[in-house]
Amino acid sequence: MGSSSGQSSGSYDLSFKILLIGDSGVGKSSLLVSFISNSVEDLAPTIGVDFKIKQLTVGGKRLKLTIWDTAGQERFRTLTSSYYRNAQGIILVYDVTRRETFTNLSDVWTKEVDLYSTNPDCVKMLVGNKVDKDSERDVTRDEGMSLAKEHGCMFLECSAKTRQNVEQCFEELALKIMEVPSLLEEGSTAVKRNILKQKPDQHPPSSGGGCCS
Amino acid sequence: MLKKGKLKLPDRLGILVPGFDDKEEENGGSEPVFESGEELEIMEPNGVELGNKENEYEFDLGVDDKVGDKVDAFRTRKRPDKDGPGQVTVREVIAADEKRSDLEYEFSQKEINLEKVKRIASMGVPDGGGLRATAWKLLLGYLSPSHDVWEKELTENRQKYAKLKEELLLSPSEYTRVKADAMISAELSSEGDVAGPLKRRGISHGDHPLSVGMASAWHHYFKHTEIAEQIDRDLQRTHPDMKFFSGESSFSKKNREAMRNILLLFAKLNPAICYVQGMNEVLAPIFYVFSTDTDEQNAVNAEADSFSCFVRLLSDSVDHFCQQLDNSPVGILSTLSRLAKLLKENDEELWKHLEFTTKQTVLHKGLLQVFIIFGSS
Repeated sequence: MGSSSGQSSGSYDLSFKILLIGDSGVGKSSLLVSFISNSVEDLAPTIGVDFKIKQLTVGGKRLKLTIWDTAGQERFRTLTSSYYRNAQGIILVYDVTRRETFTNLSDVWTKEVDLYSTNPDCVKMLVGNKVDKDSERDVTRDEGMSLAKEHGCMFLECSAKTRQNVEQCFEELALKIMEVPSLLEEGSTAVKRNILKQKPDQHPPSSGGGCCS
Repeated sequence: MLKKGKLKLPDRLGILVPGFDDKEEENGGSEPVFESGEELEIMEPNGVELGNKENEYEFDLGVDDKVGDKVDAFRTRKRPDKDGPGQVTVREVIAADEKRSDLEYEFSQKEINLEKVKRIASMGVPDGGGLRATAWKLLLGYLSPSHDVWEKELTENRQKYAKLKEELLLSPSEYTRVKADAMISAELSSEGDVAGPLKRRGISHGDHPLSVGMASAWHHYFKHTEIAEQIDRDLQRTHPDMKFFSGESSFSKKNREAMRNILLLFAKLNPAICYVQGMNEVLAPIFYVFSTDTDEQNAVNAEADSFSCFVRLLSDSVDHFCQQLDNSPVGILSTLSRLAKLLKENDEELWKHLEFTTKQTVLHKGLLQVFIIFGSS
């Protein structure tokens, strides 16, 4: 499922969980792939959920970001809702050339966040993708900014295709997360827990057939 | 598979796909017996039974290896043991040749032995000669085992599909126009060359695009434009690496158009399921294989044939696509938990890894992907 990059050392100071949400076809997966592999490729629609891991250094800290990529179609919403849990950062993506993906942020996606996110301090960021298609633009930068303000989100416009602002999205989000003490605490306990987990036989399998519940 | 609560496809589909009802019964548990004494050799690791016919997830497309790695761990079929790279190639070539002639022989029989076809096809069908297309049609029950009735049945099914398309995919004005044209030409032929004002019978004056009545044909038409847009967006992104599906060539546009018709028609006929992302992935290999059939008549009719086979394939797993059934014993969640349980029994190490490194119910949900990715592997 997930793939990692730059995990050679395996050691990091902080670990954060980030979630990508938004309508189908706005470019969530493209944004992620553009960030992870520095490449731009055409992707098939995401089914269910996928995740990728990226290690990077931001603000002098070695970070491990686990980025969850979700399907945008409504059918998958009941299945993706559990991924909001324990996320320190949520990126709400829309397509600047399709207005309905923008209006759905207020109509659908911010509501989903309120409903399912268990982390009141969680950092949210609004991202308008596909700014390379400037002639087809349907949502202005100002509109994006004011919606972000309204919902207490950070804001950026980017292009997964040209990679403009792609790294900034994730880096700025990570920086902001590190400014929040409760999230910083979560990020470091995740590291400790992970070290414990690597010891063998730490987790005997639970008895009984009812797994995964 | 539990039959209770199983969604029934609309009657229309029953008409469209002969033998559909019989097929449902087969899935209830007992496998049909074709020939007594015939050796049954179904390759199945211990205990793996997902409640679906196993062949139907093995597309063996041979055009997209990209996802293969992801799914390999979950294949339910054992691969032949490989001794060495050199030997394998030769052996595989010989095996493919044998398979090809076995299948060709089988397909030439008056009464085809489906169990034999199933057995040969279970490890993949060799490319070329439309063998794969025929094997899939047979194994999905679209083609009858009796060779003699193929032509008749295919013609009927293709006509039915054309009719369904006309009724459900044309906009109401297009539909009215087609009807009117038919009527006018019928009248002309019966009345000879009598000149005069054309009669506008058959055009409903009470209905119009702004009608808000639930019975309005326009109301239904517009309800589906949103889903059509979703389908179009997904088809643009289906196998983006293959010229057959993607790009701006008229060839790929034509293929996308056909696939759009199929998915939209399915959505209209199955409102409880509608269109779910991932169906494009399931349809793509079917349509590709049927379109590249060497038999020209089959290739031309790939759209109609793909529709019927797609419906048949999905009829086994239709409950998984239905949101209302997610938490029921036939829904995707319980199937996944069964799958997780089987994984635990068969490969506890992998299960543990997935369970603990990714926390919570990720295995559960992650396998959803694997489950659907079978379509593109």
